[in-house]
Amino acid sequence: MNTFKKAVRLFGQFFQFGCFTFGGGWSIIAQMQHLYVEKEKTITSQELLDITSVGRSLPGIMIGNVAMLYGYRAAGIVGGIVCVVAMVLPPMIILSFITYFYTIFKEHIWVMNAMTGVRAAIVPIIISAAVNMVRGAFRFRPCYFLMAAAFVLYLFFNVNCAALVVMGVVGGIVICEIQERRGLNDHDGNAS
Amino acid sequence: MTATLLKLLWSFIKIGFTSFGGLSMVPLISHEVVTNGWMDLSEVSDIVAIAEMTPGPLGLNCSTFAGIHAAGIPGALVACLAILLPTFTITAMAAVFFQKFQKSKWMEHILTGVRPVCIGLIAGVIVSFCQTNYILDSRLSFQALFIGAVDLVLLFKWKVSIPNVILLSAALGLVLFR
Repeated sequence: MNTFKKAVRLFGQFFQFGCFTFGGGWSIIAQMQHLYVEKEKTITSQELLDITSVGRSLPGIMIGNVAMLYGYRAAGIVGGIVCVVAMVLPPMIILSFITYFYTIFKEHIWVMNAMTGVRAAIVPIIISAAVNMVRGAFRFRPCYFLMAAAFVLYLFFNVNCAALVVMGVVGGIVICEIQERRGLNDHDGNAS
Repeated sequence: MTATLLKLLWSFIKIGFTSFGGLSMVPLISHEVVTNGWMDLSEVSDIVAIAEMTPGPLGLNCSTFAGIHAAGIPGALVACLAILLPTFTITAMAAVFFQKFQKSKWMEHILTGVRPVCIGLIAGVIVSFCQTNYILDSRLSFQALFIGAVDLVLLFKWKVSIPNVILLSAALGLVLFR
């Protein structure tokens, strides 16, 4: 019963997220940041960043993966499936509708103008999610180098995201090993 | 009909397992739907345009659109299910694994490197969105910049919720672009 209640709640929340998935799913991350990190405080922004990183590096649709990872965390495998389905339904319904009326839609100048306005909102929305995630993302100084490298490789060299995440995995292990050998404590003071 | 649905299923399973979201999916989708004769190239560029304007991740929107073109609503359902298959399999397993090992030393080491990479990727996404969303018809759009600035204030200063920010931006778009 408890799981059932949780699943219903998750369904409602992700259905609402799904209605406002502009910008390739990034606005869902921002909505999750607002609801789960800031309001309900059920996860930290670092955990949300971890979920995003993992979701981004697995095959398939990034935001579907993120929904699965969060749902599993919140209510097991049922939670995961519920979140994915709930998130996916609104865009499917909207797009089926638009597909049938595409020509009308495309020629309707008002619709296009409203959509151009919505597109202008995507960057601020992503920034609002990212600002909080930056906290706690850089444990050691070389982490800034990893960030810069990922940025340049992604933007200017079109390097595949999965390859960049592999770079992060290797980089993380190397950085931590070096730091441990040096016997330094890390910034947040919880070194084992 | 069944044959088309099976073909759709197989095509989108292939797309799902070999792509990593976003625009990187477009060449794969384009190849599959054109060789199967479900859509032509101009329709493919249309779906990219629609997919970017409407809510929903690009991959899912492309699947819905291609599915409907090939076999109506059942086609859309099959294509979406197929493209989500990696999520229901690989990611579901990863979720179990991740939960179990999240506190382990190795996972912590790995995440130490992966987190900054993810921040770098987000920064990259922001820059590419700036290019497509504020430069319209190869000119810097002051209306779009204005909407973006208003949204920043709304989000950071007044903590307006994201759905409301999106609705307000749509309204501003209606007023400002003419």
